[in-house]
Amino acid sequence: MTEPRDDDREHADESRPAREFASLEAMHELAAAHALDALDADERAAFDAAADASPELRAEADSYAESAAVLAALAEPVEPPPALKLRLMSQLDGLPQAASQPTAAEGSTAESTGTAELATSAAPLDRPAGRARAHARRRWFERPGAILGVAAATIVLIAGVVVGVGWPGPNGWGAQLEMAALATAPDAQSQTLEVAGGGEVTLVSSADQGRSGVVVAGLPELEADQTYELWYIDDSGAASAGTFDVSGDETWRVLEGSFVPGVAVGVTVEPAGGSPQPTTEPIVVIPT
Amino acid sequence: MIHVLEFRSSAAGVSARDPRSDMLGLVVDGSGAGAPASAPTPDELLARVGEGDREAFAALYDTTVPRVFGLVRRLVVDPAQAEEVTQDVYLEIWQTATRFDPARGSALAWMFTLAHRRAVDRIRAAQAAHDRDLRIGARDLDVPVDTVAEAVEVRVEHERVHEALADLSQLQRQCVALAYYDGLTQREIAERLEVPLGTVKTRLRDGMIRLRSALGVTT
Repeated sequence: MTEPRDDDREHADESRPAREFASLEAMHELAAAHALDALDADERAAFDAAADASPELRAEADSYAESAAVLAALAEPVEPPPALKLRLMSQLDGLPQAASQPTAAEGSTAESTGTAELATSAAPLDRPAGRARAHARRRWFERPGAILGVAAATIVLIAGVVVGVGWPGPNGWGAQLEMAALATAPDAQSQTLEVAGGGEVTLVSSADQGRSGVVVAGLPELEADQTYELWYIDDSGAASAGTFDVSGDETWRVLEGSFVPGVAVGVTVEPAGGSPQPTTEPIVVIPT
Repeated sequence: MIHVLEFRSSAAGVSARDPRSDMLGLVVDGSGAGAPASAPTPDELLARVGEGDREAFAALYDTTVPRVFGLVRRLVVDPAQAEEVTQDVYLEIWQTATRFDPARGSALAWMFTLAHRRAVDRIRAAQAAHDRDLRIGARDLDVPVDTVAEAVEVRVEHERVHEALADLSQLQRQCVALAYYDGLTQREIAERLEVPLGTVKTRLRDGMIRLRSALGVTT
């Protein structure tokens, strides 16, 4: 492969301060560096202001941004820790979305600086009311056992935690909403039982909604060929209410099927994939 | 998890700006599962995010965060700080999705632009505090900049991009990489390479023009 030749042209403009780069032509020469974020703060501000006034300059900047995106895509993908999504989603509450057009109050200066300020200033705005809650969420997430023991507090915490929490695994957005609705139901009941082999299981149920969910903490991880299975147990026997696996030391699950007051909820260890009927003794049974 | 980059030429979304750049569409398939055609694209998801759709936001996050976090980690090496920056990026996406204009480019490019800018700002804020003295010494450290450019080549996942980057001269590639992956300003690049600022400006500009041109030419 032949290496393309350089055709560097030497410019003698390096001693000129950024603010004097007022002419549009000079700005066009900075468009590529702008897309690479290679301008310093003053130069960037001058460029953004000029681009706001010149659709042509804006279009050129946009075209370079598309090319720069290819460079971004070449960076090796890295999965962030799941807790990042937890923190992120929990902050959406009370975080207003911008109007589709910059308001007069934001002035006619750069759209980009306007929105950046919005984003940075909005986070602190969320703090006064949100900080304690956010803190509690983190604690629950990191030390589930310490809080789940208090049944009355559990419901409130689940309501705060579950919405927006993107757990890996089968708990999708629908399940998150369901769990949140469950935990905030006016008639919600909560019971926490210790498990003989270690850990504890909290059952949250609502007769009105006909649904229930469990929050488990400290259960041992199972072998790959095993799974935890949930059961609704009544006089007629046990009906499977879904399976779950413990990742880390906490998880939750909305039970499949309808909850009827008086039914008991049990957990057994079953072969991977679950069983139609329990094949082992339950490690915990929670009466309602 | 396999990420597939594909470049689509599309007649849709043609705007008044350089039509070549409209042919560049960047699709990140986060799961590799299912038919790509049926999964909502980042553009579709971002439009829904602009309407306050949290489910779409969660899906957009899941689809794009390895890329965004990967880019931020490339620039902000400290993992905790990279997480903070990434969080800020997505909060900004949530807040300003209403202002995303699809006529101006792809959703991913818009997101990468936000991410890159915030990462660079974080680096510079941190450096401003204690790095001024070190920067003078950086020349003595003699960072092997050539390896940066080589690393770019190693990261090339798609022949198309590879070819596009190959269109750049080595010096252009080096300058683009120092700006984009190391977050240096053009002035800092000039200091690092001990060349005149005007030379750096020219290399960046010509490099980006070649990149844009190479990516815009569809087969």
